[in-house]
Amino acid sequence: MTVTDWLEIALFAAIVGLLTRPLGGYLARVYAGQRTLLQPLIGLVETALYRLAGIKPETEQSWYGYAISLLVFHAVGIIALYGLLRLQSVLPLNPQDLTGVAPDLALNTAVSFVTNTSWQSYGGETTLSYASQMAGITVQSFLSAASGMAVAIALIRGFARRRSATIGNFWVDLTRGTLYLLLPICVVAALFLLANGVPQTLASSAEVTTLDGGLQVIARGPVATQEAIKLLSGDGGGFFNANSAHPFENPTPLANLAELVLIFALGAALTNCFGRMVGSERQGWILLCVMAILFGLGVGGLYAAESGGNPALATLNVDQITSSQQPGGNMEGKEVRFGIAGSALFADVSTASSDGAVNSMHDSFLPLSGGILLANMMVDEVIVGAPGSGLYGMLLFCIVAVFLAGLMIGRTPEYVGKKIGSSEVKMTILALICIPAATLGLTAIACVVEPGLAGLGNAGPHGYSEILYAYTSAAATNGSAFAGLSTNSPFYNLTLALAMFIGRFLVIVPVLAVAGSLAAQRVIPRTTGSLPTDRALFLGFLLGVIVIVGGLTYLPALALGPIIENLQMLGGMH
Amino acid sequence: MFDVIMLALVVVCFVLAAAYASLCDHLLALPAGKDVSP
Repeated sequence: MTVTDWLEIALFAAIVGLLTRPLGGYLARVYAGQRTLLQPLIGLVETALYRLAGIKPETEQSWYGYAISLLVFHAVGIIALYGLLRLQSVLPLNPQDLTGVAPDLALNTAVSFVTNTSWQSYGGETTLSYASQMAGITVQSFLSAASGMAVAIALIRGFARRRSATIGNFWVDLTRGTLYLLLPICVVAALFLLANGVPQTLASSAEVTTLDGGLQVIARGPVATQEAIKLLSGDGGGFFNANSAHPFENPTPLANLAELVLIFALGAALTNCFGRMVGSERQGWILLCVMAILFGLGVGGLYAAESGGNPALATLNVDQITSSQQPGGNMEGKEVRFGIAGSALFADVSTASSDGAVNSMHDSFLPLSGGILLANMMVDEVIVGAPGSGLYGMLLFCIVAVFLAGLMIGRTPEYVGKKIGSSEVKMTILALICIPAATLGLTAIACVVEPGLAGLGNAGPHGYSEILYAYTSAAATNGSAFAGLSTNSPFYNLTLALAMFIGRFLVIVPVLAVAGSLAAQRVIPRTTGSLPTDRALFLGFLLGVIVIVGGLTYLPALALGPIIENLQMLGGMH
Repeated sequence: MFDVIMLALVVVCFVLAAAYASLCDHLLALPAGKDVSP
């Protein structure tokens, strides 16, 4: 461990913290339909899009109408992306003459990017044409992020509105999120990445002669534009197979820091947006504090474990101490230019945020570090999460927390002025149960059927962890891979697609139902019998609920994988 | 042929999701505290 490393982690946290309030204020203005600095530039485009699509922006929808619009939009998105991937060989912008993507892989990829997961059973540079990357992957990264934020905003409106039959207009929220938030930030981010050395070209792969006379093909393409939204959207799907470990995606430590900030910026800012919209910024800070504590525990644990090195190698007297000659610690699967801190921080941010981008190989982390990465995803994306999904996941836990607190201490279950009744709790439980059901159920199936076992790269608990990680990542719409598991097979492509579908849409529907139910209520005035949800007590209670619910649900699964593997590793030392 | 199967899977999944939304709507419409057992 070094002071510089801790400072790097602290600097990242400080930048995100400083961005939260101004960005949160901007988000609130955008979704309230208020005028922003970009209005003169984008307002005309926005109006033209509404006219073209026949949308009346002033007409709002019930929660059910909002949900059906979202489902129809994404169904069309999956079919369109599937068609693009299958037909890429006959479409332009395919300088490498790549063939069409196989049906099962195309379906997996289409579901993956429409659900904001970005699970990749393929290597981007060897499988997808530039048209597929630009018009398919990049476009869906924008739309899936905008859709997630729209759902979060609809839920916030549920808390903020009084006796309202509507929760907003899905098409307006989708359009404004894309035009006023994602596009402008991505333009700036793409230019920054370009300046740092990320390529942006439509030329074919470069062929160079190496020093010993051999021929080397260097893949390149329109990387910078995809990279920007890949990070900002919480999507994480890389242009290259190595993702952000590839020097063309993440060339320098400065680019690495900027990528980390991009991943967390919108998710953190949405907590402030929530506070502003419900009339108490303090409520938003409480949520951000819970996220920060969980994040701090994760990154602290990861960095401490990885910088301490591999205990099994230490018994063989391998030097793993940080010095001027080496970064020290467990450097297997990590890039030297990022070191332990840059890799541990990226891994924690990526799994906590649901982004899923990687700059190191998670399969090579120590067993308990792998357990931390899994745990980050198993708490349903609430540690900042992807734009939107992190906040609505956290608000679901808030509903559970106030309900449990009400049962325990006899206080009225209410949150930010809305009564939490049986309807809201039923919908919340439906939403919270989908992800573990998909994760654990599909993991169990994959562990006992031949097609599931055929993809394994390792036996024993590590192999089991690879399968558990894949389904956890898919159902939590994270998209990062543990590596070591070959998932480009019909079995994994289809079952992972199912997990992603469940983890996204079967959660969003009850979330919107909660929004509709809350919006229809009147606001209850705060009394002495109300549980204060803007105090440290509630913060602690909410933390406890998240940890206990996650622990009870997943601890047995973690015990069979990372925990046993750690015990085996320690046992092997003696 | 495979394309038809894959697209049919997508359609079926989204139809089920829409039915799930209807179920949620129905659950929300139930009066609180009412016994819905047969």
